[in-house]
Amino acid sequence: MKRISLLLVCCLTIMTAEGQEKKQKKPASPAYKEKKAREDAKFLNKQWWLGLKGGANLSKVSVEKSYSAIAPTNYDYSDIAKRYTNFDLIGSQVTLEATFYFKGFSFSFQPTYQHTRFIYTTSYAWTSTLEATNHVELNFEQEQKVDHAIVPLIVKYDITGNKIRPYVQVGVYAAMLLNATKSVFVKGIDNAAGGVNEFTDASVIVGAKDLFADNHWGLMGGAGLNYNLGNNVRLNVDVIYRYGMSNIVSAQNRYASDRLSGIGDVMDDLTLDNLAISVGCLFPLRFLSSGFKTLDLK
Amino acid sequence: MNKLFLLILCIAGIAFSCTEESNQTIDTDNFTIIFDNNKFESSYIPIDIRETPDGGYLVLGGRRLNDSNFTGIYLLKADKFGNFVKEIEVDETSVNPIADFTAFQGKYYFFCMDPLTQVAQIAEVDPELAAVTITPVQGGLTYPSAASFVDNGFVLLSYDNGNKESIISLVTISGAIQASKGYSIGTGEDIEEPIINHFIRTGRQYPFAAGKVSSNLYFFNGFYNYTFSLVFTDISSDDPAGVVQGQQDDGGFSAVTSLGGNKFASSRFNFGDNFILPNKDLSTTGNTSSTDLGGYSLPEMVENAKVRILRATVDNKNVLIYGTDTKSKQIGLLFYEETSGTFISSRYLGFSNPFEIASLIQTADGGLAVCGTTYLAGRFPRICIFKLSKDKLIESVN
Repeated sequence: MKRISLLLVCCLTIMTAEGQEKKQKKPASPAYKEKKAREDAKFLNKQWWLGLKGGANLSKVSVEKSYSAIAPTNYDYSDIAKRYTNFDLIGSQVTLEATFYFKGFSFSFQPTYQHTRFIYTTSYAWTSTLEATNHVELNFEQEQKVDHAIVPLIVKYDITGNKIRPYVQVGVYAAMLLNATKSVFVKGIDNAAGGVNEFTDASVIVGAKDLFADNHWGLMGGAGLNYNLGNNVRLNVDVIYRYGMSNIVSAQNRYASDRLSGIGDVMDDLTLDNLAISVGCLFPLRFLSSGFKTLDLK
Repeated sequence: MNKLFLLILCIAGIAFSCTEESNQTIDTDNFTIIFDNNKFESSYIPIDIRETPDGGYLVLGGRRLNDSNFTGIYLLKADKFGNFVKEIEVDETSVNPIADFTAFQGKYYFFCMDPLTQVAQIAEVDPELAAVTITPVQGGLTYPSAASFVDNGFVLLSYDNGNKESIISLVTISGAIQASKGYSIGTGEDIEEPIINHFIRTGRQYPFAAGKVSSNLYFFNGFYNYTFSLVFTDISSDDPAGVVQGQQDDGGFSAVTSLGGNKFASSRFNFGDNFILPNKDLSTTGNTSSTDLGGYSLPEMVENAKVRILRATVDNKNVLIYGTDTKSKQIGLLFYEETSGTFISSRYLGFSNPFEIASLIQTADGGLAVCGTTYLAGRFPRICIFKLSKDKLIESVN
C-alpha cells in the first residue's frame, strides 16, 4: 500500500510539472499577459477555501449566579465559596474550515470539536471551641472536562494581500454539548485523631453530561495569518477568543448528581470564555489553470 | 450552497433558542441543601419539617447539649430556594422535642419537656422564627414520646415512669387535657430501661407514634404489657380495645398510618429485619401478633430501620411514599399505590456522605421535601433538605 501511494504521488508530481512546463512553452505577447493578469485578478476576487486546523486552548469561566449545596449557619458563605482558576488547564480543538473569499472579505464556517478544561477549589473546616486540637479541614479540587461541537459563523478581513496575509475576524458561535466529566479530588487534615493526619480520599470521577447545558452561544473575535506556500496551499495560524454569552450549566439538572451534591458540590451558573490557538492548512477549491495555480501571482 | 447556509442558520437558531438559564421556578423545584455549622462539637438531629406560607421551610430538630443527657431544641428556617434564613437554639430549660411538628392557624406547634421535672411542654413558634413560646401541658404528663394532630387537637403519647405506664391523651392547642388513659408497660426495671435510654439517646430510638383511627378509636405505638405494641383504645376503657403485639423490644411496628376503617399503611421490624405493609387490614380488637402479618421484606434497609410514611396525591393517584434508611447510607423512597398496595418504583437520595431520613412532606407546588441528616466529612451530623419537583414525583409514580 505504501508503495502504491508513493507511486501515485510521483505520477501526480510528474503530471503537474509537465503541465506547468507546457504552459511555460506557450508563446505569450505583452498584451496577452496583461489581459491574462486582469482575468486572473478578477478570478482571484472570489475563492473557496477548505482546510483543517487544530491546536490548544485555555478557558476562563465567569460566575453569573452562585450556587452551593452547603448553607453555612454560623459562618460566612465566602469562607466556602468556589475559587476558580482561569486560563490554567490546556484543552484542545480540531476545526474544519470552509471559507468563501470575496474582495478581501471572507465568510467562514468552521465547525469545531472543542475540549475545554477548567478547575475550582473549595475548602471546609470544623474547629472546636472547647479543644483546640479538634480541627478537621477538607479541601476539594473539582476539574471539569467539557466537549462541545462549536458551530461558528465568522467574517474575516484580509489586511494585506501579499504572500503573508494577516487577517482579523469576528463572529458568532453556537455550541452543542457532546460530553462532560467531573473529577473531584479530596484532601484533608484531621487533627482530632491524636495527631496531624493528612489524608487523601479516593477521587470521585463522574460523567457530568447532564450537569451542563445542551447548548450555549457566544461571540468571537481574533486574528490570524495565512502564508501562501505557492503550491496551492496556505499555512494558517489562527488565534481566536470565544466570549460566552449564555449559561453552560444545566439549571434543570444542577442537583442531579447525588454523588456530587452529597459532598456539597453543585455547579454555579457559568459562562465560558476560551482562547484558542490553531495551526492548519487551507486548500483552494477554484483553480486558474490545469496546473492548479490559483494563488496570488506575486 | 444556499441550502448549506440555510442548514447552518437553522443549527445556529436552534442552539441559540435552546440555551438554559436558571429561573425562580427551576431553583425552587429542585435543590439539595446541607446546613453546616463549623463548630466541631455541634450535632443536629432533624425531627420534622413543615412548609411555610412563603414557600420556605421550618425544620424542627434536636441538638447535642454539653451539660445534659437530653437533646436540646433546634429550629431552622430556610427560604423557598433552600437558603438558610434563621436558626434558634432554644435554651436548655426545654428539651427533647418530638414529632409531629404541626401547622395550625399560622402557627407551628410541637411537644418537648422540662429537663428537671420531665413534664411535657407545648411549644409555639411563628413561621419567621421570631419567637418561641413554651408552656407546660396541664395534668403533669411526663416524657412526651409522640404526637399527631387531629380534629384541631393533639393525640399525645407520653410515659409515666412513676406508674410505669404508656399514656395516651387528647390535648388541646392551649395544653389542656381533654382525655387521658394509661396502660401498664409491665413491672420491673428491665422493661423501663430501653425507654429511658431512648429519651437520653444512649440506646435505640423507638418508633413511638400516636393517632386516630375513627370517631372513638385511637392508637399508640409504644410499650404495653412488656412488649412494643400497637395498641387501640378509646382513651377511656381500662383495657385496650385491641393490641397488635410485637416481640418484646425486638419486634413491632416501625411506622403506622391509618388509611380509614381497618386499613393501615405500616412497616414493621422483627429482630433487625424490616417488612413493608402498604395496605393491610389490622385487627383493632383482640390480641394479634405483628409477626403474623408478613409484608414485603427489604434487605436493603438497615437493621430495625427508621421508616416514615407519607400519603400523597401525585398525578391524580393516591400513593404511599415510604422513606427509610438504606445500608448504602442513602435515603430510600419507596412508592406504592395506596388502594392496592402495589409497588410502583423506588428512588434513592444522597451519596458520598451518609444520609438518614427524618421526615418527608408533599409541598404546595406538588413536589416533595425530604428532610434528613447527613454526616459532613463523614462525621459531623448536619440537617439536609432534598427538594424534588412535581415532575420528578410524577416520574416516580408512573
